[in-house]
Order: sequence, then structure tokens, then C-alpha cells
Amino acid sequence: MSLTLDARGLACPAPVLLIKDAIEQQNPETMTVFVDNDASRENVGRFLASRGYSVSEKADGSDWTLVASRDQSTQAGTAAAATARPAAPPAGKQKILVLIGNERLGGGDDQLGAKLMVNYIKTLKELGGDLWQLIFLNSGVRLTIGSSPVLAELQEYEKRGTIVLACGTCLEHFGLTASKAVGGSTNMLDIVTASQLADKVISLG
Amino acid sequence: MRGLDFPTDDQVLVGAESADDAGVYRISDELALIQTVDFFTPIVDDPYDFGRIAAANALSDVYAMGGVPKTALNIVAYPIAKLGPEVLRAMLAGGIATLRQAETVLLGGHSVDDDELKYGLSVTGFVHPAKIRTNQGLRVGDCLLLTKPLGTGIINTAVKGGLASVATVQRVTELMAALNRRAAEVMAGFSVSACTDVTGFGLIGHLAEMVSGSGLTVILDTARVPVIPEALEFAAIGLVPVGAHRNRSFREKMVVVPPGFSAILRDLLYDPQTSGGLLIGCPEGEAAVLEERLRAEGMEEAAIIGYVRDSNREQIVLT
Repeated sequence: MSLTLDARGLACPAPVLLIKDAIEQQNPETMTVFVDNDASRENVGRFLASRGYSVSEKADGSDWTLVASRDQSTQAGTAAAATARPAAPPAGKQKILVLIGNERLGGGDDQLGAKLMVNYIKTLKELGGDLWQLIFLNSGVRLTIGSSPVLAELQEYEKRGTIVLACGTCLEHFGLTASKAVGGSTNMLDIVTASQLADKVISLG
Repeated sequence: MRGLDFPTDDQVLVGAESADDAGVYRISDELALIQTVDFFTPIVDDPYDFGRIAAANALSDVYAMGGVPKTALNIVAYPIAKLGPEVLRAMLAGGIATLRQAETVLLGGHSVDDDELKYGLSVTGFVHPAKIRTNQGLRVGDCLLLTKPLGTGIINTAVKGGLASVATVQRVTELMAALNRRAAEVMAGFSVSACTDVTGFGLIGHLAEMVSGSGLTVILDTARVPVIPEALEFAAIGLVPVGAHRNRSFREKMVVVPPGFSAILRDLLYDPQTSGGLLIGCPEGEAAVLEERLRAEGMEEAAIIGYVRDSNREQIVLT
């Protein structure tokens, strides 16, 4: 069944309570909700997501229309997941920051260096939850693009809660800004700050 | 209140034009007067508890200035025909109980008949002019400490919606009714550079006032910011007060948020607090000892939550 609710003119928490009652009494498959401010839009959207609905929003002047439909795969499990604090280390005992400033590990033979770096990044998983941030600088940013030999590993680290970042200036320097396939971009202030907050910094030239 | 011409004189040490917790007036080289007033509509159902919270909240501004509260006056707006005298009596008894804890005397007050209940107090305190702690004065290299966990605005929104459990209401009531007295007494023994109490503007709003005009950057170590766990749960289902959204749209330009940062935790950082904790700046070398002392004095969740760095513009960096 489908339901239309008008939460315009209501102040928080009234819009959320209106939707909550409607779901508890009628358990609709789809819902259209009208709100007239940003706070209500965010709160109602978040509540619907916590109750297992996927939501799309449409702006209409100063009003918003939220269209929600029950998402069979997620059910109501997202509320607990959403309360996780990704800023915290992912269950590790310490915060280890790894700075990678080159696409190869060590000097001497480039081919060997490239292999060693791939092996190093793959082996980082042994740090478990202690691996807090991985930051790529200079030619190291090449390891974050689509053709990276460790793309799958980095995506996996990110999924497990490690913060993966590439230096924005470096990506731009190599013309790779559009090619980055994993992690976020970062700047020097954030890198300096992260180095300070980390319990241990491992820097690879 | 920009544009208004406030009367002033040479003895005004902290005046109405500054965005500080209370005003300070110099009486002699050894003594200055701290004055503040705060009142609001009920945030909990029990009138006695509301009275305790209103008093703790009003007294907090004196503690945040580094002072000792001495006298207080009640301010009451009350629908006597609708609620009768019993609720009023319980509310004032709650206020008195907290004043007694603060060793502050009640000298009187004023009440008006009003459709909507409001209660609060005007509080006067003493401070040595050299020991005033304003919200200005943070220095490069300082650490920031917070003495109470965040989340009372979100919990109060859940209470309004009838969604908070009795245990949660009790815990948060005690948190809001707790005086900042011990925190102020403990910090008096440290080289505190700046102090404020976290109230309506939320943690970030009050931090923003502290760095305003200073050219300093605050690095907020959000994993260490104490929060009420239930507040995270309620925020996750959209029980975030309008005030938090307002605080965010007012201050978000000076806040640097890393990619993928939790929107729920972010809302906690903007959540308006009732009778929140003290936010204290002190040198890095003293911060760990101050944290330990605060915890030993019963503020178990007190924590070092940030660092002050030099920068060419004021900003708050979340990590």
C-alpha cells in the first residue's frame, strides 16, 4: 500500500513522530512525505532509512518531497550500522598512519620496487584494526587509480574502516584527479594533523 | 544586538558587546562582580528536576568565568490557573536544592502570570580580576578539554516524542542537574587560557566563539569527544532538534569535515546543550593531569578533545 503524509508546518520532532505512527499502524510499502524545511528533510530521511526504506528527495521551491519505498534487502538493520563512529579507529588498540610517497618501495631496481610495494600494501592487512589511515603522496597516488595493482586491497581496507586518502595536489600534478578509484582527497593541513593524532606514523619515501 | 549603544564605564571588564558567558564588573583590585541570567521552558516533565537543571544551568555561567557564585534571584513565568501552586512549589524547591549545593543564597525573585511556564535565575558571583576566565585567550599549542558528554538536545527531542526510556531520562537529568562547580575548582589550579560552558550553540558553536578573531585552528579529535550513547541512536533515526541544524548552517563554513565523516556524529557536535560541561583550554603539558584530576573528581567522561594550532584563518578541523 502507498501513503501520502504532509509534515509541512510541523516542528521537530513532530514530523518524525508522524511518520513513525504511520509506519507502525499501516506499514506501507511506499510513502510520499512533504516537508518544508531542511531539518525535517534530513530527520525524516534518516528515520525512513532506519526503518528500511530507500528514499529519494525532490526540491520544490522551499518545500521538499521525499519518496520512500521499502527496501527488501536491508530491512531495519541500518539504524545500528549508522550509529557506528567511522572517525574512531575501527576496533584497533592504536591508530597507525601509513604515508606512502612513492609507487615503489626502496631504490635499486624499479621493477622489484613496484613488486615490493604491492606486497607491502597487501601485507598491511596484518595490522588489522590498528590500520587507521593510508595516505598516498607524490607518485604514490598512482596506487589509488583504476589501473592500480592494489585497487581491490585498498577498497577492502576502506570497507573495513581504514581511511584511505590521496594528496589532491599530487593527483592534479600527474593529471590523475579524474582517475582516482578509491578513497578521498586530502590536503597538507589534514595530513599534518593526522600525523599528530596518530599513535604511530609509518612513512615510506 | 549589533548597533545598540550600551552604557559602559572603565570598570567593565567583560561587557555586553563580547559574546561571553557572563558580564564582569571590577569593584577593587582584588574583587570583581560576575553577573548572568538564564531562563527557559521545561525540558523534563518532573518540576523538581526542572528546577534543579534550571539552577545548575544559570550557575554554570559564573563557573565558566572562573568565579564563585554568591547570590541568586528567581525569574518565573507561570500559568497559575492552569497548573496550581504545587508544581511551582516543587520547581522552586528543586532550584533551591541546587543553590544549596552551590553554597549560593537566594535573595528573592520575580514572577509573572504567563500561558507558558518559564523558570531561571539571575546569578551574581565573585572573582579576582586577575583570575577571570573568558572564552578568549586560547594559545597555539593548547589542548581543549570537555567535562560532560554531548547529546542532551537530541535526548530532549526524543523525550518530547515519548521515545526515551525512563533510565535514559534519569541519566540525562542527573547530567544536566550536575553543577560545573567541581570542574571550575579543579581548573583553578591549572594554567587555563580560556573557558566557556557548552550550551545552546553546541560544541562547535562555542568553539567557534573561542577562536573567533584569533587566527587559530582547532583540531577536534572527534573519536575522543564524550557523547551520550543513546543520543547517537536517536540521531540515527532523525530525532535531531532544529537548533542543531541552525547551529550547523550558521557555523559550517569554518568547519573542515573529512570525506566519509558520520553525519550522526557531526549532528552531535552541533547539538544544543542544556547545562552542558565546561570547555577548557590549557597548555599541552598540563592537559593530561587536568583530565586525570577531572575524572578523579567524578567527571568520569571528561576528556582531551582537541588541539590548538597556528593558522592564517579560524577553522575547526574534524578528524
